[in-house]
Amino acid sequence: MLRSALVPAKEALNNQCVVRSFVACCNNLKVQKRDQSTTQVRDQSTQPATASSTEVAAQKRKPYSPFQNTNNVAEYALARLDDLLNWGRKGSVWPLTFGLACCAVEMMHIAAPRYDMDRYGVVFRASPRQADCIIVAGTLTNKMAPALRKVYDQMPEPRWVISMGSCANGGGYYHYSYSVVRGCDRIIPVDIYVPGCPPTAEALMYGVLQLQKKIKRYNTVQMWYRK
Amino acid sequence: MSYFGVDRVFTLLRTIKQYGGIRQSFLKIFRMDSLRPGVVVGVDKFGNKYFENNYYFYGRNRWVEYAPQYGMDYDGSQVPVEWFGWLHYKTDLLPSQDPSRPKYKWMLEHTPNLTGTPRQYMPYSTTQSKVQPWVPPPKK
Repeated sequence: MLRSALVPAKEALNNQCVVRSFVACCNNLKVQKRDQSTTQVRDQSTQPATASSTEVAAQKRKPYSPFQNTNNVAEYALARLDDLLNWGRKGSVWPLTFGLACCAVEMMHIAAPRYDMDRYGVVFRASPRQADCIIVAGTLTNKMAPALRKVYDQMPEPRWVISMGSCANGGGYYHYSYSVVRGCDRIIPVDIYVPGCPPTAEALMYGVLQLQKKIKRYNTVQMWYRK
Repeated sequence: MSYFGVDRVFTLLRTIKQYGGIRQSFLKIFRMDSLRPGVVVGVDKFGNKYFENNYYFYGRNRWVEYAPQYGMDYDGSQVPVEWFGWLHYKTDLLPSQDPSRPKYKWMLEHTPNLTGTPRQYMPYSTTQSKVQPWVPPPKK
């Protein structure tokens, strides 16, 4: 950010061309504008302005379905079909264990009674052909990468990927190693990144819940109709 | 009475009455997966209600009921920091009772996890990519 903001200013100093410096200034302004928007997002207040607006916000119930803007009967029916499909899918996310390192121990913990992933319909499957989701837990090495891709290709659609831990997210501790893939998203498309080294079982559970939220927003049937 | 467990039935009836009828109780079970009678100890600025009932054992005696504006999409990050400590047994003092909470003007408002919303964090790289993605050959 800083560099891109500074470079045009330096150029403007070096050459006398007015047009060019003007263009550079415009670019600079654009950069600044984007910066402002990010800080605005960071600083914006979540506190409602008045007490009466709190009550109004509290009274309004958020509907279950994310598909509320339907124009006709067909769209409404397809939206409800999508809801049904997504409800079924998010209630039975069967992950494939792809435990590669110490993260796998935490992955075992969410299957154990304390975190008990079964209550969300998350049941480990040993075969990729029966799995909806793959949890990449641990360091993905160059040697393991083709195996991961093969296993991922064997999974039926729709399939999701949870990348668990720093090593799977971006190489982590082994980022500069000669034998490690710098993030499993270089091999397969990742839906949920769970940070941590290793992430707690609680964090992975939260990741699974985020995946369920994501599945809830899928509009498979509606897109089929639109095609 | 309590030996045969009849008092449990009365507790259940009282609970259903507290939540405002059978229909409301079913909705509550659907949303929260449990129906526990409790005392509202506080409401935060987002409208989340905090309950306590020491009849239940440690770990289940404090809970939060998320504001209706979150619907079924509630998650743990919607609990603001001032209530987090009470809810997770870091302290027994409610935020209103605790005099030693730091309060500085530079402290930010609590934001829930914005993943999956239009305001989510999106990283972008300013350097040129060193890897060329594999482009699948067109189907014949």
